[in-house]
Amino acid sequence: MSKNDSNKSNEIDQYTRNVLQNGLSRRSFLTRAAMGTGAVAFTGLTGSMATASTDDCVKTAKSSDGGATLEFMPKPKPISDRDIVSTQTFDVVVVGAGASGVPAALSAAENGAKVAVLQKQAIVVSQGNTGSGIDLANSDKAAVEAMVNRLMGDSAHRCHPELVREWAYNSGEAVSWVIDRAKKGGAQIVDQGTKVQHGIHGVTEHKLNFVTSYCGPKPYTTGDGMRALAKVAEKAGVKFFFNMPAQQLVQDDSGKVIGVIAQDRDGKYHKYMAKKGVILSSGDYQNNEAMCNFFIPDLKNFERKQMDRTGDGFSMAYWAGGVIEPIGHTKMLHDFDAGPASMCDMPFLAVNRKGERFVNETVAMSLMNNYLRDEENAGHYSQVFDANYMEQAANWPGKLYSPEQMKIYMPEDPSPKIGVYESQINTYSANTLEELAVKLECDPKTFVANVKRYNELCKTGKDDDFGKPSAKMLPVVKAPFYGIHRRMRISTLCSGMLVDKNHQALDADGNKIGGLFVIGNLGGGFYGGVDYPLTVFGLSLGRCYTFGYLAGKYVAKL
Amino acid sequence: MKKLTLRNIMLCLALSFFASSAMADKTTLLDQTHAAKGLKCASCHGNAEQREAVTMTKCIKCHNTEKLAKKTKDVKPTNPHENRHFGTETDCAKCHNVHQKSENYCGSCHLRFDFVVP
Ligand SMILES: Cc1cc2nc3c(=O)[nH]c(=O)nc-3n(C[C@H](O)[C@H](O)[C@H](O)COP(=O)(O)OP(=O)(O)OC[C@H]3O[C@@H](n4cnc5c(N)ncnc54)[C@H](O)[C@@H]3O)c2cc1C
Repeated sequence: MSKNDSNKSNEIDQYTRNVLQNGLSRRSFLTRAAMGTGAVAFTGLTGSMATASTDDCVKTAKSSDGGATLEFMPKPKPISDRDIVSTQTFDVVVVGAGASGVPAALSAAENGAKVAVLQKQAIVVSQGNTGSGIDLANSDKAAVEAMVNRLMGDSAHRCHPELVREWAYNSGEAVSWVIDRAKKGGAQIVDQGTKVQHGIHGVTEHKLNFVTSYCGPKPYTTGDGMRALAKVAEKAGVKFFFNMPAQQLVQDDSGKVIGVIAQDRDGKYHKYMAKKGVILSSGDYQNNEAMCNFFIPDLKNFERKQMDRTGDGFSMAYWAGGVIEPIGHTKMLHDFDAGPASMCDMPFLAVNRKGERFVNETVAMSLMNNYLRDEENAGHYSQVFDANYMEQAANWPGKLYSPEQMKIYMPEDPSPKIGVYESQINTYSANTLEELAVKLECDPKTFVANVKRYNELCKTGKDDDFGKPSAKMLPVVKAPFYGIHRRMRISTLCSGMLVDKNHQALDADGNKIGGLFVIGNLGGGFYGGVDYPLTVFGLSLGRCYTFGYLAGKYVAKL
Repeated sequence: MKKLTLRNIMLCLALSFFASSAMADKTTLLDQTHAAKGLKCASCHGNAEQREAVTMTKCIKCHNTEKLAKKTKDVKPTNPHENRHFGTETDCAKCHNVHQKSENYCGSCHLRFDFVVP
C-alpha cells in the first residue's frame, strides 16, 4: 500500500474510521487492481469487512453487512468519446448551483481560477432564508468551543469535530463575504446579528456572537439571493451552464478526477475538464425514493419540499470510489410557514391529522415528524388554542402574534399576505370547536372529544396522558378558537460523502481521491443525529456558504 | 435518452385509446388536440422502429416557453409558467400529459394552487 500512504493522514480519527468501516463504497476496484492485490477486503481497518469478488464490486455496492446490494446505484454506462459533442477545459468545475455551489464558484474565481458551473435546473435554485456563522472577532474562544461541543451533542456525538470547527472558525468570515457579494448583485440580504439566535441561550457563559444572514422577507429566499450572487460570479468570469445535469465523472488511470460529463436537454453529452478539481455541490437525495428507503426508511410517508434532488452527486462520487456515510442519515422536516415561526415550539394543545392528542407538546416542532411517520398522519398536526392565548401564554418562550397580526397566516382572511408564502399559510379561527376541526381537516367528533379530555386534565393541572408541566396546560375553552395546521415535509437531508477537512473526498482506504471535492448537504460529517438541530438558526445554509467559500478558495489555489 | 420499449408503447397506446374513448366527452386529451392540428405520432416520437420518448426539447420546437409565460402571466394565484423553481423552463411533462389526463404538479406542495391543467 506504500504507493498511497503519502496521501493518508497518519492517524485516522474516530468519525472517519467509523465511516470507513460501516459506510457504503465500491471497494475501489481500480486502485486495488492496479496495486495487484485484487479485491481483497482491507482487513487492516475493518477486520470484519466482507470480501467481494472484483466483478461484484464493479456492478453493485454492498452494505456494511455485505448483504444488501444497492441497485439504485448502478454503474453509469460508459459514455464514449464519440458521443461527446463538445469539450471545454477549466481550472475548477462545480456541479450544482445552489447554496454551496454558487459561493464555491465565486470564491474559486476570486482566487484566480477559471470556473464552470453545471446546473441541472434551468436557473440557480436553493431554498431557505437564514444562514449563520460565528462572529469570531466578537466571541471568546471558550464560547466557540462550547458551541462546537453543543453542536456535537446535538448530532448525537456522531459528527466529525474537525468539520464542525471548520464551520465554527470560518463561518463569520464566509457569511459576511456572502452578504457583501450578494448585495453587489442586488440581493435583499441583511445581517441580523446575534439577537435572532434564540436557541443559543445557555450554550455558554462567555461572549458568543453571530453573523446571521437573512434573505427576505418571504417570499424572497436564498434562491433569489443565490441568483444575485451568481450574477456577481458571472461578472467575475464564472461560466454557468443551465439545463446541464452532470452524469458522470472523468477519471484518469490513477483514479484522479479530471472532469465531468453532462447531458443537455437534447440528450447530447458535453465534457468539462477540470485542471485543478471538481467540486460536487448537487444537494441531497430526497427525490430518489430508493435511496431514501435505504438510508432513512422513516421518510416513506412524508412529502418533499424540493425537486430534482435525486442524489446524482452521490452516485457520481460513489462510482469514483467515494464512501457514503452509513445508514441512519440526518433529516430536516420543518414547517415555519403555516403560522408564525416564533410560535412553532409553543406547547399549545397539539392534535394529529385525525384530531387526537398524540404527544407532550413541549417536543420541538423540528422533532414532531417522529410521531407522525405513518401513512395517515404523514407529518400533519395542528396547534390549537383559544381566545385567552395572548394573556395565558405571554411568558412562554418564543413570540406571540396577536389575532390581528396572525391574519397574514389565515388564508380565509382577506388581508394582504405580506412577508409570508401565500400558498403555505395554514392558520384558521372559528367560533366552535366543530367548525375549527373541519378547517383543520380533522374528524370533528374525535377532535372535540380530545379537546374535552385535554381541558379536564388542564383543570387538575396533572397531565396524566403525556406528562406536560402544569404551567403549559392551557385549556381550550373560549371562542374564538385558533388552529395552526402544520405540515412536516422534508426540507433537506444532510448526510453525505466522507470528506476530509478540506472537503476532499476519501476512498474506502481513507486515501484522498485526487481532484474530487464535496460540499453542501452532499458532504458528510457535519451532522449525525436523527434530526437536524435548531440550536443555531440557519446552521445548514451557514455551513453550505462556508464550505463553498472555503473549498472554492482551496481548490483554486491547488 | 430514455427509450420506450415496445411493451411500454403498446401499453401507452392501449391506455390512451382507453382513456380517449372513455373520457372523450369530459376532457379532451392533448393527443387529440395535437392530432386535430395535423400532428402525426412520428412528429413527436420519431420515425424509428423503437419510438423515442418525448423530451421537452421536442415540445419547445413549437411552444415558445417565454411567450407561453407571458400568455399566462395573469393566471391566479400565480403564473405556472414562470416560477421560482424552474423560471420559464419547467419540464412540460411535469403537468401536461399527452395520452393521459394532465395533472396539477404544483398543488401537491402549494396549498390552494388549484390549477386546471389542459
Ligand atoms: C423550504 C426550505 C426552507 C429552508 N430554510 C432554511 C433556512 O432558513 N436555513 C437553513 O440553514 N437551511 C434551510 N433549508 C435547508 C437548505 O435549503 C439546504 O440545506 C441547502 O440549500 C443545501 O444546499 P446545497 O448546496 O447542498 O444544495 P442545494 O441548495 O439544494 O443545491 C443543489 C443544486 O444542485 C443541482 N443539481 C442536482 N443534481 C445535479 C446534477 N446532476 N448536475 C448539476 N446540478 C445538479 C440542483 O438543481 C440544485 O440547484 C431550507 C430548505 C427548504 C426546502
